[in-house]
Amino acid sequence: MKKRKMYIRMIMASLLRRRSRMIIALLAISIGAMILSGLVTIYYDVPRQMGQQFRSYGANMILTSEGDSITQEQVEATKKLIPDDKLVGVAAYRYQTVRINDRPVMAAAADLEQVRKTSPFWLVEGEWPSKEGELMAGKNIARTYNLKAGKRTTCTFAPEAETEAQPGETEEILPDNWADFTVSGILDTGGKEEDYVYMLIPDMEKLTGMPTEYDVCELSVSANSAELSQIAEQIDQQVEGVTARLVKRVTESEDTVLTKLQSLVLLVTIVVLALTMICVATTMTAVVAERRREIGLRKALGASNGSIIAEFMGEGVVLGAFGGLLGAILGFAFAQVVSRNVFNSSIRLMPWLIPVTILASVVVTGIACLIPIRSATQVDPALVLKGE
Amino acid sequence: MFVRMIAKAFLRQWKKMMMIAFTIALGASLATAMLCVMMDVEDKMNQELKAYGANISVVPKSASVINDLYDVGDENISGTYLKEDELGKIKTIFWAFNIVDYAPFVSTQVQLENGDEVLAAGTWFNHHMDLPTGEELDAGIASLRSWWTITDGQWLDEKNPGSEAMAMVGSACAEREQIHAGDHIRLKGKAAEKELEVAGIFDAGGEEDDLIYVTVDTAQELGDLDGKIDSIEVSALTTPDNDLARKAARDPGSLSVSQYETWYCTAYVSSICYQIEEVITDSVASAVRQVADSEGQILNKTRLLMILITILSMVGAALGICNLVTASVMERSQEIGLMKAVGAHNASINALVLTEVMCTAVIGGVIGFYAGIGFAQIIGHSVFNSAISIRPMVVPVVAVLVVLVTLIGSIPAIRMLLNLRPTEVLHGR
Amino acid sequence: MSLLELKNVSKIYGSLHALDHVNLTVEKGEWLAIMGPSGSGKSTMMNIIGALDKATEGEILLDGEDISKKNARALTDIRRDKIGLIFQQFHLVSYLTAVENVMLAQYYHSVPDEKEALEALERVGLSDRAHHYPSQLSGGEQQRVCVARALINYPEIILADEPTGNLDEANEEIVVELFRKLHLEGTTLVVVTHNPEVAEVAQRTVVLRNGRVDREMINENFTGKIKHITLQ
Repeated sequence: MKKRKMYIRMIMASLLRRRSRMIIALLAISIGAMILSGLVTIYYDVPRQMGQQFRSYGANMILTSEGDSITQEQVEATKKLIPDDKLVGVAAYRYQTVRINDRPVMAAAADLEQVRKTSPFWLVEGEWPSKEGELMAGKNIARTYNLKAGKRTTCTFAPEAETEAQPGETEEILPDNWADFTVSGILDTGGKEEDYVYMLIPDMEKLTGMPTEYDVCELSVSANSAELSQIAEQIDQQVEGVTARLVKRVTESEDTVLTKLQSLVLLVTIVVLALTMICVATTMTAVVAERRREIGLRKALGASNGSIIAEFMGEGVVLGAFGGLLGAILGFAFAQVVSRNVFNSSIRLMPWLIPVTILASVVVTGIACLIPIRSATQVDPALVLKGE
Repeated sequence: MFVRMIAKAFLRQWKKMMMIAFTIALGASLATAMLCVMMDVEDKMNQELKAYGANISVVPKSASVINDLYDVGDENISGTYLKEDELGKIKTIFWAFNIVDYAPFVSTQVQLENGDEVLAAGTWFNHHMDLPTGEELDAGIASLRSWWTITDGQWLDEKNPGSEAMAMVGSACAEREQIHAGDHIRLKGKAAEKELEVAGIFDAGGEEDDLIYVTVDTAQELGDLDGKIDSIEVSALTTPDNDLARKAARDPGSLSVSQYETWYCTAYVSSICYQIEEVITDSVASAVRQVADSEGQILNKTRLLMILITILSMVGAALGICNLVTASVMERSQEIGLMKAVGAHNASINALVLTEVMCTAVIGGVIGFYAGIGFAQIIGHSVFNSAISIRPMVVPVVAVLVVLVTLIGSIPAIRMLLNLRPTEVLHGR
Repeated sequence: MSLLELKNVSKIYGSLHALDHVNLTVEKGEWLAIMGPSGSGKSTMMNIIGALDKATEGEILLDGEDISKKNARALTDIRRDKIGLIFQQFHLVSYLTAVENVMLAQYYHSVPDEKEALEALERVGLSDRAHHYPSQLSGGEQQRVCVARALINYPEIILADEPTGNLDEANEEIVVELFRKLHLEGTTLVVVTHNPEVAEVAQRTVVLRNGRVDREMINENFTGKIKHITLQ
């Protein structure tokens, strides 16, 4: 018991009283540990974070109806099947041909707040429609009809007769519905969307006089194509009347690019880690090599090699543990800084990484100390003490 | 004498010096590798992002906006076309080098034998071009549609003889019409009727699954559209947009002369569009926002990520070197105490220590630099299957870093040496 | 039986005969000084007696046991149990206090006991400096800590290698005084020295030259008092 107390006392004395050297060693270890925990955290979190970025490519899953249209209930049921943290946005669209200046135009109605999430690449000159009575015109439509943000326009809708006109009967002619709109913005996407006008759902209901049902529903889900296929299968099975399809162009390409990116970060992590660990090892070696004379003295006093190794390793382990803990915290802070700067979101803490970092630091420090200690214990104490 | 002392120090302490050199080499190789990768990552990721397909689409100026609205599908009814013989010019613009791929499209309505109407699109699959610059390029949808999967048969290869009489059929259309790879189908267009062999069935996961893809010549013959093209899709390596690019995209005329020059000579998607419009008569080139915007965003993020990782590893390398230099200079306090005792001035001791450390640093730095290039290439080849190009910038940055870090690493050690009292050291404390 | 007996001991480094067939006996309780010019083999002898080094040939009997053929591990045990070492350069562990340095020897020997260590420091007159670090102690004080460390485990033999080599005259006297005290308590002392003043207070002086015992002198006037003898 007494002996262990002295052992601890010696180690603490060495750690606390040889301050400058111990700070050097501690610094080296914490740098190593910081890089380890920082890079590993980033490596694990990159797919998630980058996956979010890839959502800027827009919807990666499309819901179509097996019948005529999709109901709000079906959309809600679908939403429930996707974990909240993976669902970026759900935008259901209703398409209807309306007339502007007596010429037909395709109008789309959707929850535009969701559209902003599923199609973040849309560039709007002016404002997104925020209240009823506002619409957003595609660039081509705007050019054709000379629409500008702030201008007013009227849309008319010719409702179809409830029943098909029987041959011989005269078709019942219904009066046109119409509504006034303010153009809030012009939409630029470089794609087909430029040929549509977009409005809010209540406006469409008012204009057509029909309850809202959707033609198509776009989903943006932060997941790889394997996960997406699974989700799509679930939707097909559990939600009646809808079919989920993946947008291959988005999912396949995302897999390709994300895999590259992750293997890049992995390789970089490995190279950086390997080099840093060697760096830590050389520093520890230098710090221990300095104490050859002390090792010689202990040997002369009758210490066995085993007990010398035990003492120095004890120091190494304590240093490794403290450095590892410090480094793990710093590394997490670094990963957090990266995440905040690059992705504007906070990083997920991986609790298991802290013991792993500490363990790795202890192992690296231990190995780094062991080499010079062993070589020092092999040396004749008489020679060391002679003061070369 | 000075030189002799340094030479002696190296000979006597070669083990220790080697360790310092080794650590500096590690640090330098880390810095070199990370810098090389960081500077090249944007180009490499840009290449990877080409998987998303074209980021610029070119259509005739007065192309119909009403195409979709008259329920006639995708067939061009506006009567305005681009000229096929101008296609080659796209590879002559200022940023020609950044155009990695492009393909023309011309579509026409055709009838199958059973009378079903299908849209046939003529395009390049892997069209071979010998450019005036001496370059060769295989352009077409084989690479522009990387996400297509071939469910039956294989890609139509334009290099094969007889490929003019071949077609690729979308999976939806093939299922509906019971078409398989190797089948022969008869397409009846406005102007001609042709029998084609189906090379493959593709699954595009979108509207394209309803189409039949044929060669440009076939589509033109079928639709009597000799030399005419509906649209061109261009895939270009671009620089992410900034404020200048956004301003120019709205109206290039609003820029000042110098701004215009900067914009024109930067590979922004808007300037490439502008240059394409210059060479293709009566055309409008616009960025496909879904691809162009996202590309910019992802490139920016990747670059930022790599910059931060690089900074971390550089700081790590720097601290590591500092540390070891400090530790190894401190170790020599006895020897230096002796030098002081025999009358060495602080300045001469500093000069000696610094020269020694710097010589080591230079050796380590050079070795590390080459090792770092090696690491960068390993990363490049295993991740991107291509070599990382080494920017000349890396050399001075690494050199300055190594020298600076070594100097800074020596400061605490030197301060300690200056405060050293020879008597204490010599009495073995 | 003698405590220590060297029979025909040689130590050869390449072509250099550091020790050349040396015979020497040390009785229990004896105070022996070993003298000789530089390179005469003093330190080699000291290392061999101190079980720090092995002889090339010959027999070394310590307490009747032949230690010349023992391996490094066994030698370590012998050092720990039977020998107290004092060095010219003191060799104290810089980050341990005086009392901790003494306890270090206890630690390797058996069980550290702070009280006992403090008593040992009291014996060398350093009880008030027990909690100082080596760097806060004068050379003489450091060497006295070393003496305390050497005697803490009650070794069969205390071996001092130039114990006064780094000390001024005043401190030298203090250390010699300590040796005398130890001798009176019955400790066996072997002091390797350059300094005639330190040698002449011993009971017996052995002079080495070129690795051989040149001559041996008995201090007939040995009374425990300092007396000056001139050596040729």
